[in-house]
Amino acid sequence: MLHGIEKKIINLIQSDIPLAKRPFKSIGEQADLSEEKVLAIIGSLIERGIVRKFGAILRHQRAGFTRNAMVVWAAPQEKIGAAGRTLSSFREVTHCYERTPPFAGKYTLFSMVHCREGDQEVILKKLSMAAGIKDFKILTSEEEYKKSSMEYCADVK
Amino acid sequence: MDGIDKKILNIIQKEFPVAAEPFKVIAERVGITEDEVLERISKLKQEGIIRRIGAVFDSRKMGFVSTLCTARVPEEKLKAFVEAVNSYAGVTHNYRRNHEYNVWFTFIAPDEETLEKFLAEIRDRTGVIDIISMPAVRTFKIDASFEL
Repeated sequence: MLHGIEKKIINLIQSDIPLAKRPFKSIGEQADLSEEKVLAIIGSLIERGIVRKFGAILRHQRAGFTRNAMVVWAAPQEKIGAAGRTLSSFREVTHCYERTPPFAGKYTLFSMVHCREGDQEVILKKLSMAAGIKDFKILTSEEEYKKSSMEYCADVK
Repeated sequence: MDGIDKKILNIIQKEFPVAAEPFKVIAERVGITEDEVLERISKLKQEGIIRRIGAVFDSRKMGFVSTLCTARVPEEKLKAFVEAVNSYAGVTHNYRRNHEYNVWFTFIAPDEETLEKFLAEIRDRTGVIDIISMPAVRTFKIDASFEL
């Protein structure tokens, strides 16, 4: 479980750390903790998998990955594991989950596929061949209504 | 964006140094000064390529539940529906997609009951009944980093 002190730190690292030579020192000043203590707490949160990633989050469209789609795959029950692992081995696939209930009664595997302009068709063909699934659906995003980060421990100040 | 920017972006996405002087560590790896690293990152932020630098949490390990929802929303109800859905802090992503199920959003909540309650509220408030929640039963990969 999380300690009060950890919640305080979580609250401070969930948005944007200061762009300064000693960012963790200034985080410490806001939480009344030493720089060493802040680093130790973040290290422990990473080790326990509570922090999945610490680093830069990009706006991938601006970084050149302009063709982004949710692609759903009609993997039959006995093929989900192997197909999910195969899809995940491609770097263009950033997210891959089995979801239930299956979308439209048959699409059990959900993936996010990011690529550069013009690459999508080739990449999807490659993914489909590798996973051995011909029946897939490309759900292209036509408009972004919201993109944000979840606020955790916002009540702890 | 030049080769050095790309190197920096690859490092800070995957291996940001959790150390007292992170930008100095990056500078040494890239072969430029700490000040230049800070300047370049600051510029990449201004240009909107970097959204933020910080932590990404595993919502389940934080004790939360999450799901992907999709809804079939008639055009005339779309605006009100999107407003209603987006008003929840737990909705972190929401997109229109090219399907008769045209609205797709992720929802994070403290527990299943709260999630169901929120979805019931949305149905009540908007009159959109056809909302499907599809929680993940197995996670194969989450790695939203981009090799440049």
